[in-house]
Amino acid sequence: MLAELKHTLLRKRGQMIGWAIGIAAYGVLMVSMFDSIVGIAGFAEMMESYPEDIAAFFGGLSQITTPKGYLDVYYFNYMTVIIGIFTVSLGAGLLVNDEEKGVLDLVMSYPVSRTALFWGRVLGFLAVTALVLLVGWLSWVLPAQGTEMDLTWIEFLRPFAPLFAQVVLFGTLALLLSLVLPSARMAGMLAGGLLVGNYLLIGLSNLNEDLKAFIEYTPLYYYQGGKAIDGLNWGWLGGQLAVALVFSLLAWWRFQQRDIRVGGEGGWNLPALSRLVRRSARQA
Amino acid sequence: MMTGDKAIVARGLAKSYGKVRALRGVDLEVARGELFGFLGPNGAGKTTTIRCLLDLIRPDAGEIRVLGLDPQADPVAVRERIGYLPGELNMEQSLKVEGQLRYFTDLRGNKIDWGYVRELARRLDLDLAMPIKNLSKGNKQKVGVVQALMHRPELLLLDEPTAGLDPLMQQEVYRMLREAQADGATVFFSSHIISEVGTLANRVAIIRAGVIVEEAQPSQLVSMAIRRIWIRFLKPVNPAPLGEVEGATVLSQSNGLRVHLQVEGELDGLIKALAAYPVGDIEIERPSLEEIFLAYYEGDRTEEEN
Repeated sequence: MLAELKHTLLRKRGQMIGWAIGIAAYGVLMVSMFDSIVGIAGFAEMMESYPEDIAAFFGGLSQITTPKGYLDVYYFNYMTVIIGIFTVSLGAGLLVNDEEKGVLDLVMSYPVSRTALFWGRVLGFLAVTALVLLVGWLSWVLPAQGTEMDLTWIEFLRPFAPLFAQVVLFGTLALLLSLVLPSARMAGMLAGGLLVGNYLLIGLSNLNEDLKAFIEYTPLYYYQGGKAIDGLNWGWLGGQLAVALVFSLLAWWRFQQRDIRVGGEGGWNLPALSRLVRRSARQA
Repeated sequence: MMTGDKAIVARGLAKSYGKVRALRGVDLEVARGELFGFLGPNGAGKTTTIRCLLDLIRPDAGEIRVLGLDPQADPVAVRERIGYLPGELNMEQSLKVEGQLRYFTDLRGNKIDWGYVRELARRLDLDLAMPIKNLSKGNKQKVGVVQALMHRPELLLLDEPTAGLDPLMQQEVYRMLREAQADGATVFFSSHIISEVGTLANRVAIIRAGVIVEEAQPSQLVSMAIRRIWIRFLKPVNPAPLGEVEGATVLSQSNGLRVHLQVEGELDGLIKALAAYPVGDIEIERPSLEEIFLAYYEGDRTEEEN
């Protein structure tokens, strides 16, 4: 398991560094802009004057001049989607990318059990995600020392916990889908689509009351975002991590059962559209 | 299942991919210490059989024992004692050869003698500092051979081991496999190159459409095959009775002085029939393993057409 964890970290280091640099640059930029933005005369009033629909989509803009509101709107509100896309692509390809490239065939001929391989890679996935978020946290907490963002390091850290849980949940969903669907790309697209769809649905539910009942069944409803600065909702956090664990366990079970493909096998054997068209043309 | 001194035992192995029946009841026994060739055309089931032995895929039916163990029940114990070279060799493109082999060493619990790894690489003229992505097919194959042999396994499962190698390197790999056998290892290799199997193997199995159709020594296969015989007679004869000998067919004749025959199986009947003729010369064309193989393959096509 340790060999796989080490290997996953080594292989993903390029992706991890790239994302960490991007996330860090964004964090530093937003911190450095805080004093200027809140210092603009009449900024709070301007935000208040935004059309209700737009303000509602972002969950309200009334607190945007406070560190909590600023972090919520400019960072944690959509970082679930940004970092979520990263973890979804990481999860979808965690095992199946190697399988599609034919690499897993050789790796699995070594004395490593499917369980060790699977959990070694999942641990690698969690470590890569945590490291990217750690850089994100540092990019706020370090430059904030010279600003008016009067938050402690722990207050900065708190909202990263639900962010971690949320992106891991969608990443493990992508992992599970990759072991069920015919390709990693399809799994990534579906999990990414569900993530973006859920995000839009949450925003739209602030405009349409009828959606409120429905969104309670979606993961992002239980995402605290910047509001976690005041304190974590441990029930929600635990629930999200529990769902991620269930997805992981299902993916592990599926990985135990299935054949390791080298290309050509598997798939749903759905007739290709072109073949259907040709057949109908012949019959006509 | 009693396995005794067998390195590989498979009974009634069946595997389908959707509607495609890749294996239709493979029965196979390979003794410990054997150099066993597994021969068949593309798509005959060679790779599927090997991948079942490693528990990379699970058979729909049948039983397998590898070195006395059930690969599904104890895959790690089986793989510890096996060296595997896949037919489609793919490796991590971002690593160098040494990095790839170090990763494989990690997966084997760091129990690899790197002096031996360097020795294998030297013999195959393989540069350990090269990035995998820059390697030619032949050089990638060399990495595959090194990783299969580097832990001195008890059993080598090699899917087309010399694919992409130049003739000199093919000979070096043959030497390595013979050395491994001399050290007590069992070598099970698949190939569709019949001359390779004929050169290397002590015993051969031919797989066709997911079924083992023949299992013998390479020389026995030759004796079972079709031969072409040219006979020159001292005076004109009627060759028709020769065509009535079991397994023999007269292909052509020239004024009763020169006859071209095809004989399937043993030559005993024909030799005895020729005792009554004034024979000047006999020329027997030894069948190549290619012809033997094609004979099985053609037989299958005829069955399918009927």
